[in-house]
Amino acid sequence: MKALTLTAALALCLGGLTQATEVESTPTPTQKKSIVLRADHVFTAAGDPIKGGFVLVEGDKIAGVGPGAGSGDEEIEVFAVTPGLIDLSPDIDTGNFSVEQSTEAPIDLSVTDALDLFSYRWKRELKGGVTTVLASPKDRAVLGGTAAVIKTGGPPLLEARLLNKYGALRAAMGSEPSSGNRAARGGAPRNFYTRRPTTRMGVEWVFRKTFYDALANKRNDVKLTGAAKKGQEVIARVMKGELAIVCEAYPTHDIRTALFLKEEFGIPRMILDGAAEAWREPELLKRTGAAVILPPYVAGRTTENAFYALETAKLLEELGIEFALSGNGNSSPLDRLMHQPGWAMRGGCSFDAALEAVTITPAKMVGVADRVGSIEVGKDADLVLWSGVPFEATSHVIGVVLNGELVVDPRK
Amino acid sequence: MKFKDLLEFTPFATGALLTLMALPATAQNLVIKAGRIVTMTGDDIENGVIVIEEGRIKAIGKEGEVKLPWSDNTIGGPDHVAFPGFVEAYSNRGMDRANENIDVAPFLDIRDSVDPVAYYFEDCLRSGITTVNLQQGWNCVVGGKGMIVRPHGMTVEEMMVRPTYGLKMCASPKSGKSRSTQAQALRGAFTDLRLYLEDIVRKERDQRGYAKREALFQGKDLDGEKAEGKAMGGSTWKVDGLELIPRGALDEKQAPLLRVVEGKQTVFFECMEAMDIDLALSVAKDNGFLDKTILVVTASCWRGYDAIAKAGVPVILKGSLMATERDPYSGEEIEKFAPEVLAEKGIKFALTSANSTTKSLWFQASTAIGMGLDRDAALKAVTTAPAEILGLKTGSLAPGQLGNVVLFTGDPLSMTSLVDHVVLEGKHAYDRSTDKRNQQLLDGAQPTGTEAAPEEKTDDDVNEDK
Repeated sequence: MKALTLTAALALCLGGLTQATEVESTPTPTQKKSIVLRADHVFTAAGDPIKGGFVLVEGDKIAGVGPGAGSGDEEIEVFAVTPGLIDLSPDIDTGNFSVEQSTEAPIDLSVTDALDLFSYRWKRELKGGVTTVLASPKDRAVLGGTAAVIKTGGPPLLEARLLNKYGALRAAMGSEPSSGNRAARGGAPRNFYTRRPTTRMGVEWVFRKTFYDALANKRNDVKLTGAAKKGQEVIARVMKGELAIVCEAYPTHDIRTALFLKEEFGIPRMILDGAAEAWREPELLKRTGAAVILPPYVAGRTTENAFYALETAKLLEELGIEFALSGNGNSSPLDRLMHQPGWAMRGGCSFDAALEAVTITPAKMVGVADRVGSIEVGKDADLVLWSGVPFEATSHVIGVVLNGELVVDPRK
Repeated sequence: MKFKDLLEFTPFATGALLTLMALPATAQNLVIKAGRIVTMTGDDIENGVIVIEEGRIKAIGKEGEVKLPWSDNTIGGPDHVAFPGFVEAYSNRGMDRANENIDVAPFLDIRDSVDPVAYYFEDCLRSGITTVNLQQGWNCVVGGKGMIVRPHGMTVEEMMVRPTYGLKMCASPKSGKSRSTQAQALRGAFTDLRLYLEDIVRKERDQRGYAKREALFQGKDLDGEKAEGKAMGGSTWKVDGLELIPRGALDEKQAPLLRVVEGKQTVFFECMEAMDIDLALSVAKDNGFLDKTILVVTASCWRGYDAIAKAGVPVILKGSLMATERDPYSGEEIEKFAPEVLAEKGIKFALTSANSTTKSLWFQASTAIGMGLDRDAALKAVTTAPAEILGLKTGSLAPGQLGNVVLFTGDPLSMTSLVDHVVLEGKHAYDRSTDKRNQQLLDGAQPTGTEAAPEEKTDDDVNEDK
C-alpha cells in the first residue's frame, strides 16, 4: 500500500519536473530502510504545523506525514522537524574563478562549470541545515551568467546534485562589477583591468546594452552563432519569465536602478539579492512585483553602506512582497542561515513567514518548489531536525536528512 | 585549586584597594517589579520585587513578602522578566585606537581613550549589558592600564566603576613582530625593569640619596601626602637593596611593571593560539604574577586548555565560541566548541561579545546552549563568572549586590525578547520607549532632531547675498 502511494507520488512529481529540472537525481535502490522521524512539532511549510507528528522517509522521498507516531524500519525522535533550508545567496562559489571577467556580460556561461563539488563549503552548509542552494557566479561582471540550483550533499557529481541548471540569471548593480576596473587614459589599454564599467552608470549601461542588443537582434531577425546565440537564448528565457534575474542591490539607489531596468525592458521576474534597504522602497517593490532576498542581519549599516532596518522582513510580510532570507556568504559556524529567521522574528515577522522565507519561498523563486521546500508526500526527503524551537538562538540543527539519507545524525 | 583561592580573595582585596565610585544623582530608592526574577543565585522568583537603596539591592523577594519603602519610584510590571544584566568580561571597544604604537607601555591609561558617546555603549544597554571591562587591544607587548565602566554617562568619570583595573599583556605577536621577537620583548620588559632597579640601587649606594635628590629635583613629594612608601620587589625575584629607594622616586614608566612583579596588579594576558599559552604562563610564573593573571584566549587555543587547567588561572573566551580548522589530508572542516572544552577541564570561564549587537552576550550564551552547554553554565558564563573573575558585586540579584537590573520583555535568551529598562546602581539608565536610535534600528527612519543642522551664514555669505 505504502509502496503504491510512493509510486503515485513519484509519478505526480515527475510530471511537474520536466519544466524546471534538466537533470534528475539517480533513483535510490528500493531495498533501503525507511526512516520515521517523530517530533513534538512538525513544521511542514505547507499548511498548519503538526503537534506530535511524524515524517516517514522511504527511499529519497517523503512517503508520509501527519499526526501520531507512524511506523518505519528506523525510528528517530527529535523536538522539531522543518523542511531542509534553502539559501539563494550562500558562500559556495569558487571566488574569481566562478565568473568570466574578459567580458562584462558573459550570459552564455553557466556557473556549473566552475563549481568545486569537493569543497568543504558544501558540508558547512549542510551541517547548518541548508540542503539546497542557488550557486551564483561572483559579482565581478554585470551579468555574470546563469546560476544553478543544487543540493549541498550527495555524490560529488553534477548530475546527482543539480536540481535546476538554469535557476536564474545573475546580475549585479553595486560597486562590485566596476571595482578594480580602470579607465583607459592617454593611449592604448595597458592591461586587463583597463576596461568598462568603472562606475555605477557604466554598470547600468552594460546591463541596458546587453538587453537592448538582444531584443533588437531578435526584432530584426539577426542570425547569431556560438556564444552570442546562446546568450540570446538566455535573454529570451528571461523575457518569457522562465528564468528570473537575481540582481545584487544593497542600497536604495541600486534597488531603484534594478527595478527601473525591470520596468524598462518588461522583465517579468526580478529578485533583488542583498536588498538591505528594501524598507525604503516598499511602493516601488510592490508596483514592479519584484521579490527580495534579504542579507543576514547586521545592526545598522551593512555591505555598500546600506542601512538594514530590523523590521524589514515584517514590512515585506505585511505588504505581501515575496522575500527569502539568506546567509549571504557568512562563513562562521554560528552565523549561518538557521539564525536568520530568528532575527526576522525579532523585528516582528511571524514564525510562518520566517519559516517560509528559508524553505518554500526560495524554492518557488528558482523553480524547484515541486521537489523541495516543504514537507509533503512525494517531495525530496530533505529535512532539518532541531534540538528546540526552530530559529531560537538556544536551538540548534542537530540532524539533517538529505535525499532520504541521514547525513547529520542527531544520535551521535 | 589556586585560582579558587584567588577568586574568593579578590573581591575583598580589590574592594579595599579600589574605590567603587557611586553614580552621581543616584535615586534615593527604586522598586522594580517583574513577573519573573532570574536571580542567578537560586531559584527564579515569580511575581517578585527588588528594592534598591543607595545604589545597592536592599531586598528581593515575592511581592507582598518584601517591605516596600513608603515613597517609591517603581518600574516594571508582571510582563517583565528581571535579570541581573550581563557582564562584559573583556572589551576593546568604545575607545579611540585600542593600542599605542609602543611595545612596552604600562604607563598608559585607557581612560584617556574612552569615548563616552560611542554607539558601542548605547548598544551595550540595548543588549542588557550593565558592566564592561575595557582593556587595551592585542597589538602590544605590554599594554596600558584598563578600567571597568558602566555603559552610561556623558563623561568618563560618570562611567567609572573602577577607574583603574588590570594591565594588558599579549603573548601573541603584535603586528610587525614574529613569535620569537614578541617573546623576547615580553621577557625583555622584565629584564629591563630588573636592570633599571639594579642601576638605581647601585647609584643610591654609590652616592647616598641620589635617587631621592633626583626625585626632589623633579618636584616629586617624597615625604608628604604623595609618598608611597618603599620600593620592595616581587616574590619570585628581588633586587637586593631596593628597600632603600622611596617608591615615588621610581621612573613612572617602570613603576607599573614593578607593581606587576610584586603581585599587586591584575594582568589580562592575551593568547590567540594554543602555542602562546605556554609563553604567557611562563612569563607570569617567572615574574611572580601567576595568581593575578587572567588569560584572554580564543576558541582556537582549545588544545592548550589543559595547561590552563593545570596552572589554575581563570579564562575569558574572546570572540567566537567555535574554533574551525581544516584537516590537511581530507580537507574536512573540524569544529570545536570551546566552552564545552573549558567546562570539561573545570576551568572558570567567562564569554564575551563577538560584536556589540548581533553577537552580544545574550546571543553568545544562547548559541552556547544551542551547542550543548547547559543553560545554567551558559548563563553563569555571562553573569556571575565574569563578576567573580573581575571581583565585582554584580551578576546576580541578592541583597548587598550592586543595584544593576535589566528588565526584558521575555526570557533573556530568546530571540524575540528585547530590553525594556536598564537600572545601573539604582539609576534608571535606559528606557526603550525613549530610545530614538533603537527606533531607527527597527524601522530605519532617521530620528527627528538628529538631522544635520543648516549651516550658519557667515558675514561673507551675507555680503555675497547682497
